[in-house]
Amino acid sequence: MAAVISSAPPAHAAHVGANAMISIRDVSKSFGALKVLDHVNIEVARGEFLVLLGASGCGKSTLLNLISGFERSSTGSVHVNDREVRDVDPGCGMVFQQYALFPWKTVQQNVEFGLKMRGIARRERGKTAQHYIEMVGLRGFENSYPGALSGGMKQRVSIARVLANDPDVMLFDEPFAALDAMTRQVLQEQLLSIYEKSGKTILFITHSIDEALMLSTRMVVMGAKPGRVVQDIHNDLPHPRTAEVQLSPRYIELKKSIWETVQLEVMKSLEQVKQP
Amino acid sequence: MAEKKKWLQNSALLSISAASLLAFLLLWELICRSGAIDPVFLPAPSQVLGRALRMWDQNSLIANIAASGRRVMVGFFAAVVVAIPLGIMLGTSRVARAVLDPILSFLRPLPSMSWIPLTLLWFGITETQKYSIVFMGSVTPALLYVIEATQGIDPILIRAARNLGANRWQVMREVILPGCMPQILSGMKVILGLSWTCVISAELVAAKEGLGFMIMNGKEFFQTDTVVLGMVLISFTVLITDMVFRLIQRSVLSWQQ
Repeated sequence: MAAVISSAPPAHAAHVGANAMISIRDVSKSFGALKVLDHVNIEVARGEFLVLLGASGCGKSTLLNLISGFERSSTGSVHVNDREVRDVDPGCGMVFQQYALFPWKTVQQNVEFGLKMRGIARRERGKTAQHYIEMVGLRGFENSYPGALSGGMKQRVSIARVLANDPDVMLFDEPFAALDAMTRQVLQEQLLSIYEKSGKTILFITHSIDEALMLSTRMVVMGAKPGRVVQDIHNDLPHPRTAEVQLSPRYIELKKSIWETVQLEVMKSLEQVKQP
Repeated sequence: MAEKKKWLQNSALLSISAASLLAFLLLWELICRSGAIDPVFLPAPSQVLGRALRMWDQNSLIANIAASGRRVMVGFFAAVVVAIPLGIMLGTSRVARAVLDPILSFLRPLPSMSWIPLTLLWFGITETQKYSIVFMGSVTPALLYVIEATQGIDPILIRAARNLGANRWQVMREVILPGCMPQILSGMKVILGLSWTCVISAELVAAKEGLGFMIMNGKEFFQTDTVVLGMVLISFTVLITDMVFRLIQRSVLSWQQ
């Protein structure tokens, strides 16, 4: 067990090496006097499905903003596909919890958005959009406006919109947190099959341990105040991750191990709140 | 079933409104006919209608409406064409706001009437003078509406657009402009009403045709029926433009339903 669960994060960097799609090197970030991230090192390999787990306030979203270029780190550097991140770049496609669809555009137009920005001809981008709309199971809804769709459908449009743009990396910021449990499960399964088909590198944020175990190939647990890596686990659960897998001893073992770490972190940050 | 009931309710309410209007006109007519009020002070509706028919025959009715309508449209559209891009620029750039804020703050409290002497001096009693009055009266409030609308855009939509590869200019055209459209359109409806008051006040002071001119001309010759007719026509044209505007609004904002 000790072999797969290492609590020293940089140890992982060694086996990733030159194959890294995202490398976060010694990154710290402060907003004024508030330190949000403290010397974070994470390397994400090409084709990996990395889930970042942590309670609120551990700087997960800030980390995502640094990778997507919306914010700059105070120290350290972030590289995506061997290029240092200096500005917002469509190479890192983001799926937001709030969907962020353009309400005045149809499903089709939303999915085409990135291609249109790149000046791709109408017919070609129509074809590409159609492909991804079908991939997320929304055929027949091409001409609907987002206002007429359910939360789960909106999030599928949002995923198709990022896929159509063919990014190097897909970033998911708690994408299913606002959905009901059943819809969430369906979307998790769909996301896994999209991941397998597309081979994209995925960085996914959640605070649900089950979601992390269901989706990831690797999990990084973050601690809060300031945000840092506290546990880095290779998820060796077999695919497909059926109900049977979720009842297996290995699943429960992993869940327990993560829960202990998370619990410790939550307790620590509660202590900090009590004694200001 | 519920649909039908609603329709019945609506048509019942509409009939009540129509009856109320008729009763009002009838009462007005009866009071005037009874001789209680001198027609020079207030003409009967039938007199106003008679004047309208006579002016129709002389083609001056349509000519006056068209003159005012044209002035409103030219001044209003010029104001909108300036206000939308400028307002989006001001709404998204703090530097641009810092540059233009003092000028806007100076222009904002000025009523359009206060521009009449200067514009008469610059342009004389011309169409350009009327256009400029409408423009000056509409452009500042239109700008303020657009600036406010740009600030109501959900910032996450701008983030999403940038993340998908949109540059600054594309964000403005593809996100900010359409995202502002609902507020801009409802603001423009208010501005259009304002444009009408601008043109009437300009015509009341100096004009050779138009609804404002018609009212002043009626006054000169003690034709109170012409004055009332002018007022009625102003009201009608504003109501009709409002209706047309609502149709445009509905088709442009079809995604909201």
